[in-house]
Amino acid sequence: MVASPRRTLVKPPSEKDLADLPTSHLGRKLTVKGVLDTDGEIHVHGIVFGRINADRLVVGKAGYVEGDIVARDVHIEGRLSGRVFAFNVTLDASADVTGRVFHHTVTIAKGARFDGRMPWRPVNYFETFDQPPETQP
Amino acid sequence: MSVFTRNDKPETNPGAAPTPPQPPVQQGRPQATAQPLSPAPQPQAASHGAISVSVISKALKITGQLESTEDIQIEGEVDGDVHAASVKVGANAKVKGTVYGDIVELAGSIDGRIEARKVVLTSTAHMAGDVIHQDITIQSGAYIDGHCKPEFGKTGSKSASKPASASASTTSYSGSSLGTDKANGSAARA
Repeated sequence: MVASPRRTLVKPPSEKDLADLPTSHLGRKLTVKGVLDTDGEIHVHGIVFGRINADRLVVGKAGYVEGDIVARDVHIEGRLSGRVFAFNVTLDASADVTGRVFHHTVTIAKGARFDGRMPWRPVNYFETFDQPPETQP
Repeated sequence: MSVFTRNDKPETNPGAAPTPPQPPVQQGRPQATAQPLSPAPQPQAASHGAISVSVISKALKITGQLESTEDIQIEGEVDGDVHAASVKVGANAKVKGTVYGDIVELAGSIDGRIEARKVVLTSTAHMAGDVIHQDITIQSGAYIDGHCKPEFGKTGSKSASKPASASASTTSYSGSSLGTDKANGSAARA
């Protein structure tokens, strides 16, 4: 979606960049259908149907995401259905995830629900990551 | 006397502190084990107040439809329709599509349409398209290229806005195929 070359999914943005990348909050009553694209951080407490590209994504307890996620850091406390391509993935105790989680490092809290596969990928997979491959679920 | 002494003894026993604290001490143990889990809900509960307002920051671009029964503050870019109780479009924000709401405050740019009870166009506003309103404020410096119609909430505009919203939903993300399918289905049934 972004014409400019994307930052790799491995390195966090510098502090100078972070000042230009304020966090976006999607409230609990908000439903988004479509593509969300940012180099910053997104907190989802509502519902998202579609693709999310971000540096860091937090899905709150009331949050629900259905679709592909491409991010450096993904933290899930709510529900997720779809694919995740993220260098670091954290599933909180309240997480309920269905799908595939492509990761380099993963943390799963006791109590989290996960249904699917969690393929590990080397660092260069995320360094050169462009767009999620088209695969059938 | 013996009656008084009997009464005194039961009174002192429930009045004595040691008995009530015992259940808390017993409960304290499971609480202590649950403590590592409890810090997570606490910040969550504390941040609930901030959650109610949605903020689309300047770094975020959304292609698609936003629907909320609460407030939305847009500082970034939205390519699609926005439905909310109150919509604030910040100074450097861009919206391409229709903005529906009770109150719409525009400081940035909208390329499309506004349908709201109360519309505020600030001095930095750039509005390309029609404004359907009941109550409008236009500050000096605002740019408008379109019609301002005080038809919001009127019976005629309601029937007019329904097809508008229906067409908007068909043009939105993945809605077109559904819309045509439905149309075909209804046509086939007819």
